Amino acid sequence: MEQFFTLPFAILEVPHMKIKKPSWLRQPSAMTMFSIVLASYFLVTGGIIYDVIVEPPSVGSTTDEHGHSRPVAFMPYRVNGQYIMEGLASSFLFSMGGLGFIVLDHIHTTTTPRLNRLLITAVGFICVLVSFFTTWIFMRMKLPGYLQS
Amino acid sequence: MVQAGSKKSSVSKINSKTGISSLIIFVVLLLAWIAGFSSRLFAVIRFESIIHEFDPWYVSAWGGYVFIINLIPLHVFVLLLMGRFSNRLFTSYTTFYILGLICSMQIPFVGFQPIRTSEHMAASGVFALMFAVGILKYLQGMMSKSEFKSLVIFGGLISAGVVFLTVVALTYAGYVAPWSGRFYSLWDTGYAKIHIPIIASVSEHQPTTWFSFFFDLHVLVATFPAGLWYVIKNINDERVFVVLYALSAVYFAGVMVRLMLTLTPVVCILSGIAFSGLLELFLREDDNVRSEESEEEEHTTPSKRLYDKLPKEAKTKPKGGKSVGNVKTPTSQAFLNWNFFSHLKAGRVPKMKHEQSKESDGIGPNIRSIVTVVILLLLMLFAVHCTWVTSNAYSSPSIVLASYGSDGSRQILDDFREAYFWLSQNTADDARIMSWWDYGYQIAGMANRTTLVDNNTWNNSHIALVGKAMSSNESAAYDIMTALDVDYVLVIFGGVIGYSGDDINKFLWMVRIAEGEHPKDIRVIDFSYRKVIISQNTVNSVWTKKVPPTLLNSLMYKLSYYRFGELKLDYRTPAGFDRTRNTVIGNKDFHLTYLEEAYTTEHWLVRVYRVKKPDEFNRPRIPVANRVVKSPNFISKKVSTQK
Repeated sequence: MEQFFTLPFAILEVPHMKIKKPSWLRQPSAMTMFSIVLASYFLVTGGIIYDVIVEPPSVGSTTDEHGHSRPVAFMPYRVNGQYIMEGLASSFLFSMGGLGFIVLDHIHTTTTPRLNRLLITAVGFICVLVSFFTTWIFMRMKLPGYLQS
Repeated sequence: MVQAGSKKSSVSKINSKTGISSLIIFVVLLLAWIAGFSSRLFAVIRFESIIHEFDPWYVSAWGGYVFIINLIPLHVFVLLLMGRFSNRLFTSYTTFYILGLICSMQIPFVGFQPIRTSEHMAASGVFALMFAVGILKYLQGMMSKSEFKSLVIFGGLISAGVVFLTVVALTYAGYVAPWSGRFYSLWDTGYAKIHIPIIASVSEHQPTTWFSFFFDLHVLVATFPAGLWYVIKNINDERVFVVLYALSAVYFAGVMVRLMLTLTPVVCILSGIAFSGLLELFLREDDNVRSEESEEEEHTTPSKRLYDKLPKEAKTKPKGGKSVGNVKTPTSQAFLNWNFFSHLKAGRVPKMKHEQSKESDGIGPNIRSIVTVVILLLLMLFAVHCTWVTSNAYSSPSIVLASYGSDGSRQILDDFREAYFWLSQNTADDARIMSWWDYGYQIAGMANRTTLVDNNTWNNSHIALVGKAMSSNESAAYDIMTALDVDYVLVIFGGVIGYSGDDINKFLWMVRIAEGEHPKDIRVIDFSYRKVIISQNTVNSVWTKKVPPTLLNSLMYKLSYYRFGELKLDYRTPAGFDRTRNTVIGNKDFHLTYLEEAYTTEHWLVRVYRVKKPDEFNRPRIPVANRVVKSPNFISKKVSTQK
């Protein structure tokens, strides 16, 4: 056994050097991991891959009856089409809703006084509700007749 | 369970209680399952789509196992990186790999692929890595530190080199197939558009927009990161898998719409975790704040976690039972048992009522109930959304279109079946029908006629030939059609009813696919107004501007818009107004030379044209100046040579 793994060092000379594990290389904490995950989730749900492949304009434009060109934020009636800004806006709302749910959970861990707990609950709730209803409005702009009929 | 077993004093008593409690859990879960299944069944029956219900399973069973066979090694690899190697992991992965390999190779279609394609190399690589790590761990116990270090350096370098060279050599020699094109398209998102347009052209292979995420997931799109947060917060071996599954599935769902199918299970899992965490928090009685530290530890073991949730419900129930009297003796008895048992488990002394009211955690019962009600409201809206989506988007058979009037009346557009029935009744039995490949199976199945291409995408060149015929001008197309013995041409035209999935909207893909096989004859650039490759969503703008003449002369354009310029749909719009594209068509007045209109359905959705035989078609009129008359000189010459 001894000879087996010292065999190559009969020919090779071990260089005198020390390789230190770099100090920044360590297992990232759970919070860092989650931030990365949430950031990528934000990008993917915003259809960033669609934007890269199809290269839509950031905001569309239309011509009204007077001949003026007006910007349009949403590509209506097109389920599989979007402008860049609408995708980012709605994925921002998705992430905000997700953060709202996480904030709601935070009263679990904090040992804060009553007022802070109340505030945390309120903030979480506002996040969830605002994101939910704004997305609802977005859906109505995108697909008129959503949840009707 | 282990704790229960250790309490020797009352084994039999506890066993019966364990039985009762697990029976209750089983019954509750069974009821939940029945409720879920029956509501799903109700939705299916109500909206008459029992056939479509099972479509996803066929799709996911098709190529989805490549995802799994790469996900599990990734999980094992990440566990190794995190320093979570254990004998349990070693045993389970090696067993999985060997058994999975043997079993999957029994399927004829798979065959020897698991050891010959690059998709599966990650699994075998991790398999080897597990053994290497296992041997090293074993040797570590037997050797001194410095010896072990040199062995690791030396052995690691050698084995890495050997493995790398072997894979390269095997790939080069052709024993291991390189990555397939479908797989590349997942990583390099532009790959499919350039190299394999036939894959990129399918609508379910399009990249996903935000709309699809919300449409398919609704409130779960927001609870998904929350559930992920719960999982990452208390990570263990199994939860690493959930995290990896979630991340990869989100990415893949962003690349292709249809991979939303692989995303949904993990979304359900994580949202379930999130909602259960939230409701556990807000439905809890006030007394548990003090014991939160102890609960933090207990979160890791599921059995304890399960039991420490139950007393909250149980505590209130016996009171109610007592006040009513002993009407429901068995249930209250069960709850009492349960209550007692769980306190035994959690080692918690039941508290008196006055103690509970003293320690309030700062959130009043009002806020608790508001939060709970709002969460339940969100879930209810989610159910409403799901029902709506099921009925409107996922329940209609694609062959019968339904439209709703302003008064809620339903109109059925049965043009597809009308056309297929016409084909089966009025054409010869051996007639060959040329159409775009989307309608191949429908024509073969419902009209019982031969088609040139169908939904099987293996024959890329054939589809490209049909695409070439559709996108070239009439005479060039006629050459192709006679070479292919085409008798009828079928096109789908949605301009009258505003159906967006028609052939004109698919036309750019026909051009692209044709260009992939015949780059000399068909060029995308000829069909676009601007000097950029037009994508689907710029079709509208191209249409309104100057239409390129190649497009106006193409067979598909002519067949779709033949005599459409004479049709006036209503009083507000001019004649020849295309409702799908929202414009007046570019070329209203043209005639067909080599084809004649055979049948057009009620709403012009399907148009069938007959290809004229060479002896019967009207030759185009040649101006007098250009006519070449055979000179008698020529004949006399011939005669003279024969002499």
